[in-house]
Amino acid sequence: MSSDYEFSDDDGDYYDDGDMMDTQEDEDDDEMMGSYDDFKITPKGKHKSYEVEYESLSQDAVEQLMSADVEHICGIFGVDRDAALLLLRSMSWNKERLIEKYMDNATSVLCAAGIQVPEPTPETSRPHSTTARRSTRSTNKFLGLSSASKPKSPTPPAATSPKSFVCPICFDDSPDLTTRALVCEHQFCTGCWATYICSKIRDEGEHAIRCMAEGCHIIAPDTFVRTVLSSEDGDPEENALALSRFHELVVRHFVASNASLKYCPYPGCTNTVSCPSASSKSSLILMVPTVSCGARGIGGQSVSASQVLEKGGGLGIQAKEHKFCFGCPIDGDHRPLICTVARMWIKKCRDDSETANWIKSNTKECTNCLSTIEKNGGCNHMTCKKCKHEFCWVCMGPWSEHGTQWYSCNRYDEKAGIDARDAQSRSRASLERYLHYYNRWANHEQSAKLSIDLYAKTEKKMEDMQVTSALTWIEVQFMKKAVEEVDKCRMTLKWTYAMAYYLAKGNEKDLFEDNQRDLEKAVEDLSELLESPIEPETIPQLRQKVTDKTVYVQNRNEIVLEDTANGFLEGRWKWNAVVEGFDEPERLEY
Amino acid sequence: MDARLRRVTREIADCKNDKTSSIKIETIDESPFHLKGSFPGPEGTPYQGGNFEIDIVIPESYPFQPVKMKFITKVYHPNVSSASGAICLDILKDAWSPVLTLKSTLISLQSLLCSPEPNDPQDAEVAKHYMTSKASFEETATYWTHIYAGGPGSKDAKQLNSGDDVAIAGLEHTHVDRFVELGFPKAKVVDALRRLNYRGNNIRNIPDDRVIEELLK
Ligand SMILES: [Zn+2]
Ligand SMILES: [Zn+2]
Ligand SMILES: [Zn+2]
Ligand SMILES: [Zn+2]
Ligand SMILES: [Zn+2]
Ligand SMILES: [Zn+2]
Repeated sequence: MSSDYEFSDDDGDYYDDGDMMDTQEDEDDDEMMGSYDDFKITPKGKHKSYEVEYESLSQDAVEQLMSADVEHICGIFGVDRDAALLLLRSMSWNKERLIEKYMDNATSVLCAAGIQVPEPTPETSRPHSTTARRSTRSTNKFLGLSSASKPKSPTPPAATSPKSFVCPICFDDSPDLTTRALVCEHQFCTGCWATYICSKIRDEGEHAIRCMAEGCHIIAPDTFVRTVLSSEDGDPEENALALSRFHELVVRHFVASNASLKYCPYPGCTNTVSCPSASSKSSLILMVPTVSCGARGIGGQSVSASQVLEKGGGLGIQAKEHKFCFGCPIDGDHRPLICTVARMWIKKCRDDSETANWIKSNTKECTNCLSTIEKNGGCNHMTCKKCKHEFCWVCMGPWSEHGTQWYSCNRYDEKAGIDARDAQSRSRASLERYLHYYNRWANHEQSAKLSIDLYAKTEKKMEDMQVTSALTWIEVQFMKKAVEEVDKCRMTLKWTYAMAYYLAKGNEKDLFEDNQRDLEKAVEDLSELLESPIEPETIPQLRQKVTDKTVYVQNRNEIVLEDTANGFLEGRWKWNAVVEGFDEPERLEY
Repeated sequence: MDARLRRVTREIADCKNDKTSSIKIETIDESPFHLKGSFPGPEGTPYQGGNFEIDIVIPESYPFQPVKMKFITKVYHPNVSSASGAICLDILKDAWSPVLTLKSTLISLQSLLCSPEPNDPQDAEVAKHYMTSKASFEETATYWTHIYAGGPGSKDAKQLNSGDDVAIAGLEHTHVDRFVELGFPKAKVVDALRRLNYRGNNIRNIPDDRVIEELLK
């Protein structure tokens, strides 16, 4: 919520804004941008240089976007919604490519999308795999599906009860067993289908659910998944959960396929942010696209603003907005430092502390999406469950490079050797240089983590104040505001240390560090004030002092953010290390 | 009865009843979900004559999620980790289908021994060995079968403690000795030469300096 920065000098006004904003947010999340703009000092559509224009979308809103694409494809190809959905999903929602490929060879596109059974070819069997155990009831009826006919995914087949059928999975042969099959006609009992689909969705987060027969590439269309999960088979509660997760997975896939959309990374949140101006890699060297999905709260228990007010603000102070970076997977707001350099810093901090047990650890982060991956079983060919990135556990390099050049897997050994040699020759001075920045960075991070305590303490003080003075709940909000401001500025400060570590020596860096110093001093002053004991008779003065200092801190923060952001737009920042998208540094510092 | 238990019990029984098959599945303890499988090494391969034991763990959502298998018996093969026995095989991962059984999966492992896939290796060093010098690779694989899988002549080898570490690493005594004579400990030399794939034609690509550098690490 960018409007947090618009802090008017008249605090009475400000608090009204805050309350109205919260109520507004509760009422219409979708119109977030519109409603907030009313409270902004800056004219509509204009952003500060460190802000980016974006829009927050609910899952329903994204589903509407998807629907539009689906309708479009239905109209052009004359296929049903199920088929259109599978086609779009198989092409990562790239309509243009889909249309082109489909016009070129509809059959092969339909087969690749798992909608149609391919003509049998002699060498379909894969090495080291036993041949598919086909159901005795399978027929070739659908194998001859002509490409000229309008491909329709099968209407969800009514569960049938064939005679003398043994389910090849559960070995159940009871006469009243009901079965289902996809277009490929591979029959399985309805119970097995339900368990299988649930497991695929729940355990693997998979939305492209293949037929259960070995080597069969037919994919269950949405209607089939919905029919199975709303039938009597299996645990109704599990099924309902799986079905809603399935919808979410399809939406996530759509969002992930679209460079100008990003799913809110907060656990349990299903909102999406649209930010076309940050959709290209080149835009990310000019700005930091910090966005917010419009919801608040953590752990799937998003709280509404009205709840916050009812509970006397207790939750309000902790229910943080879902702020994240549109350009990279780093948690929270890493302004003013751009994504690439912020990631370089994080990687550096991690490598330096973990080189020793790097290879031995059982969890690693996916090199693509940074989600944590646990090694399961022992095979080094890893596939990230979240983004499907395939990589090598040993060297963390992409698996695609291992296909023909598997020997690059020795990179780990070599890397360890280079690191060790570097460590020996690394001069004391440069280590101290790193530690200088690192300690300050870590300190602000630590303080931000402890802010939960500060929030709790402040809340207590706010309650006391209402008892010992004539101030109302609304009037003691200045404390809350101050704590929030301190927290936010510590975040800025934290990243300025990472930035300063990589900034090339010179005037620009000196000015940057001057601004950093002023902000740091202001933040520490305000922090101290917040920690000081409260005397009932001096509350009015305290209120004035805290409010003044909050405004000052906010201005200092504004200066750092604004100046750094302008520096990126003007190409003013020079680095002491190689940074993608920037000129080579004049001299390297290690 | 729980569906997973019913299916596993049935699979074990089917396997027991099939007298013609060489694939065996047995329980290790009370748990029906932690099993041991075994099969003979395929004829006409370096694994011939060996008996290969597999650790089988049946996950909660079996057969909808793949069974977990790894070699208990040490085996020298590009798709099997020589250290941990972990296996790189598509059907144990994304190509798994619930119609596959423990037995059919064990048969797939057996056929994996016949047809290594060095382009999708689990053990990169073994794969390198396989790619650069197939004859030498087969010699080492045969030796491993002898000393670890109870292949022909294994008794003698076992009695002579744990076998010959130079042969286990797939190296030549003459090569190892050359560097040992320079004063490096034998274990270190074996380790370095194995890492460098100091075998067959590849030796030409590895100057002595490179070996020394590796030894000094
Ligand atoms: Zn069944
Ligand atoms: Zn099928
Ligand atoms: Zn969110
Ligand atoms: Zn970022
Ligand atoms: Zn990933
Ligand atoms: Zn690798």
